[in-house]
Amino acid sequence: MKTKNRAISVALLTVIALAGCSSTEPTSTDASGPANPATSKECQPATGNVELTFTTWVPGMDTVVALWNEQNPDIQVTVQTGPNGNGGTYQNFFNQLKAGNAPDLGQIEYDALPNFRVQDGLVNLGVCADVLAAQDEFVGWTWNQVSFGEEGNVYGIPQDAGPMAMFYRKDLFEQNNIPVPTTWAEYQDAAVKIKELGGYITNFSQSDINQFAGFVWQAGGSWFQNDGTSWSVGLTSPESIKVADYWQGLIDDGLVSANPPWTDEWNNAYNTGSDWTWISAVWGANSISAGAPATAGNWAVAPMPQWNAGDNAAGNWGGSSTAVFKGTENVYEAAKFALWLNTSDEALTALNKAANLYPATVAGANLPALKEGVEFYGGQAIYDVFAQASTQVNPDFTWGPTMTQVYADASDGFKAAVSGGGTLADALTATQDSTITTLKSQAIPVKE
Amino acid sequence: MSATDTPVRTQGSADAERRLGVKENPVSRVGAMIVMGVFTVYFLMPIWWLLVSATKDRAQFTSTAPLWFADFSLWTNISNLLNYGDGIFVKWMVNSALYTVGGAFFGTILAAMCGYALGKYPFRGRETIFNVVLGGVLVPATALALPLFLLFSTVSLTNTFWSVFLPSLVSPFGVYLARIYAAASVPDELLEAARLDGSGEVRTFFTVSVRLMLPALVTVFLFQFVAIWNNFFLPLIMLRDESTFPVTLGLYTWTTQVNQIPELSGLVLVGALLSIIPLIVIFLLLQRFWRNGLGAGSVK
Amino acid sequence: MTTNPLTQEVSSGRPPASRRRSSPHKRAIAVFVLPFGVLFSLFYAIPVGYAVWQSLLKVEREGTFGVAREVFGGFSQYEQVFSNAPFWNSVGRVLTFGAVQVPVMLGLALIFALLLDSPLVKGKKFFRLAFFVPYAVPGVVAAIMWGFLYSPNLSPFKAVTENVAFLSADLVLWAIANVVTWVYVGYNMLIIYSSLLAIPTEIYEAARLDGAGQLRIAWSVKIPLVMPAILLTTVFSIIGTLQLLAEPQVFRSFSSAVTSSYTPNLTIYSTSSIPNFSLAAAFSVVLAVATFILSFTFLKVTQRKGNK
Repeated sequence: MKTKNRAISVALLTVIALAGCSSTEPTSTDASGPANPATSKECQPATGNVELTFTTWVPGMDTVVALWNEQNPDIQVTVQTGPNGNGGTYQNFFNQLKAGNAPDLGQIEYDALPNFRVQDGLVNLGVCADVLAAQDEFVGWTWNQVSFGEEGNVYGIPQDAGPMAMFYRKDLFEQNNIPVPTTWAEYQDAAVKIKELGGYITNFSQSDINQFAGFVWQAGGSWFQNDGTSWSVGLTSPESIKVADYWQGLIDDGLVSANPPWTDEWNNAYNTGSDWTWISAVWGANSISAGAPATAGNWAVAPMPQWNAGDNAAGNWGGSSTAVFKGTENVYEAAKFALWLNTSDEALTALNKAANLYPATVAGANLPALKEGVEFYGGQAIYDVFAQASTQVNPDFTWGPTMTQVYADASDGFKAAVSGGGTLADALTATQDSTITTLKSQAIPVKE
Repeated sequence: MSATDTPVRTQGSADAERRLGVKENPVSRVGAMIVMGVFTVYFLMPIWWLLVSATKDRAQFTSTAPLWFADFSLWTNISNLLNYGDGIFVKWMVNSALYTVGGAFFGTILAAMCGYALGKYPFRGRETIFNVVLGGVLVPATALALPLFLLFSTVSLTNTFWSVFLPSLVSPFGVYLARIYAAASVPDELLEAARLDGSGEVRTFFTVSVRLMLPALVTVFLFQFVAIWNNFFLPLIMLRDESTFPVTLGLYTWTTQVNQIPELSGLVLVGALLSIIPLIVIFLLLQRFWRNGLGAGSVK
Repeated sequence: MTTNPLTQEVSSGRPPASRRRSSPHKRAIAVFVLPFGVLFSLFYAIPVGYAVWQSLLKVEREGTFGVAREVFGGFSQYEQVFSNAPFWNSVGRVLTFGAVQVPVMLGLALIFALLLDSPLVKGKKFFRLAFFVPYAVPGVVAAIMWGFLYSPNLSPFKAVTENVAFLSADLVLWAIANVVTWVYVGYNMLIIYSSLLAIPTEIYEAARLDGAGQLRIAWSVKIPLVMPAILLTTVFSIIGTLQLLAEPQVFRSFSSAVTSSYTPNLTIYSTSSIPNFSLAAAFSVVLAVATFILSFTFLKVTQRKGNK
């Protein structure tokens, strides 16, 4: 009797399960093939009023959007906020795309765009003439991030950028007569001197893989390449390994601290003057002033150290776009809003004020707020350094379609490396392999 | 051996001891109190740290002794918290209360009814039902997230109160607990007596059995209450609108925005402290049922 | 029909009225069981069925940005699960964890429950609350809290944490075990305690008058009587151990030793955020089956012992 009962319940469960999934099958399966060539038909204004939803995690976005809603009674945008992308919002987007109820617009960082495109989640805004016409308003490399370098394709409107530079303790460098490093070789020399004084030149952030990617970006490498028929993975490219070996050297010699980033411990190392520099993106300016309040006035910003004296290359760390999701009925209005949000002076000013976003437009670098001296940095007009860096970012860096996995695996390996288990190069090699495996398991063509 | 064979006791065993007038060995007494004291320190020390940290401003957070007060800025911190984002924190607390009180109450009743049926009525398929419910717990919640979301999407209920409330009503654990306690504390003789009196089964449950099971139901209710209050995985998947968030999801969202708005890290600590208070209040309110509940259901 | 081992203690003493026969109270039973049953089917059974179905699918596409089609893939996801070494390592890790942590946690919970139920302890209300409070702390906050307490430089117990690397690869598993114990001892204590309250005092009044000490009463009267509750908490702790997610996830942010596949459930989480829904579902099904085997074996073993 027991077996009979069990058989019945299993059968019942199966029926329920099948019924369940046939009714929950996503409606988007009929979406046909790769993005079609642009036809302006797909970007027509609606007749009558339009309501759009926009999911983001940028604090204060609602106040910025309120400006738009005031001026555009016929296109009303509702802001929905959640945790940051990798904190849950991306996962939600994926679920919503599968269920066919994604919002009209969403916040997506550059490194996640390929993933959403591969999941067939994004509207190609190349169908909208206004969007294509706006290309020149944006800093070249940011446009490449959203167009994947493909002429006529646009998968999001660039919102902000994270050009990198070096934050350093001006006072400590001066007091100890250590020249501010302009090359990575000088940086290492300075690290040795600082070590003798009992400090660390910086902290190697084991889990900030996109910071490391920024270093590789500066060195001219790219972790992914897409030739149209297949992907190639470049985590073990010569540039990538060069950067890994350099930092491995600093770790081996005990010249850098290895606090887990964004913890109180990490803040404390800066606040107490134990760590002297941080090579970070423009948005990092606020992280230091909040995490190390005791050091106010003692910091300055200089360009990133270079691989060869006299070079002018910068990396990028972070930055995001406003994308339009498949399933929206109002591509035209969504694109119009996204353009306003990311190009108009009033929106960019408000975004900078509310969430310290650094604009991705050429003109954005001239916002009054980005021209002022900053008290925490001894009055230095630090954003000038970043504006310069932004023009020096290599336009050819490409992200892959499984960055979540790349970050997780690389960070696992980096963590092992800082605690003495293997090297950063080993970690990149292992991640190279696991990335290829992951791409294959998603049936994404990849060169071995 | 079964507890159902003997009349239900009317008081806690400690009271019984007193009644019997048996004196305890003072050495055991002191030993017991030392054990409890040491572990109280272990359990409360991190909470103490949270309390102390909530009274400090950001600059003193890492620069002063972690377990003792510096300048007392608790009130400033609380007022900053309550004013941030048009008072969104208060809204979150209210939302949490809405999700939790109803969810825990109805969830407990549903679990009690099901567990009672499984515990007191021998019927065909009883063990199958019980095993299937156990089976449901074996599958990690991470795996159920997407199917649940798709399910609610088909009826367009995502991003609503119901998408968080309805799944919260299901407590397999409550069913187990209710089954064990129903079998242990509701005597068959009592049910037979009720039947002879002409009372229907369902009525007997609500008038007699529920009272006998009260301490267990209070336990189930408390656990359901805490579980729903602290559950942030389900709201994270279902809700998009910040104004519908429960407090844990709200605090989590803040921790992910610290890069952009650094002062949020201080607000999270104060918010966490305030978010525990309702749970402590509920616990204190429910405590008395553990003492009196059984007495109320005495059959003598 | 066999009785469930989880409830065997109580069902063994059931009067003859409970012998197997068609119940005369079908309607009442339906009224009791259906409301829960319907919701359970909707929010557990159907999602589980869907997850099983999802685990049998695989993805096909053409081109670097080709649109994915989900097609039936048989057991191809399961092949990946079984060849995934980090996953099985993580299963081994949580088994080690559980073998130590579960007995310690439940042992403490049982001792506290017995002490609270004995006349030895004064201030019961206070202790009940104090031991319960950790369970009320939201996971997000526990992360910040323990990150601070384990920190080598900031901890109030700096003298210890400077010299003992709690967050290193060797010790972090036990650092997590400490947090899990801290959170759940009070929870398990309350389950056992409320079970103790249900024992009729008459049962051990006699023993007490015979001069048996508290220890003796606890050992030979109380513990056997609350065995179903202890078994229940053990089974749920085993399940909880295999499904460890929140605590290790929290530790990832401040320990370099916790990887994205540190526990089986963390692997599932990382896999579904790729997003690779089918592989994540296959991991979940395998984990659920492993959990089932383990809890079932535990119940069978304890049942056999109990019958001897």
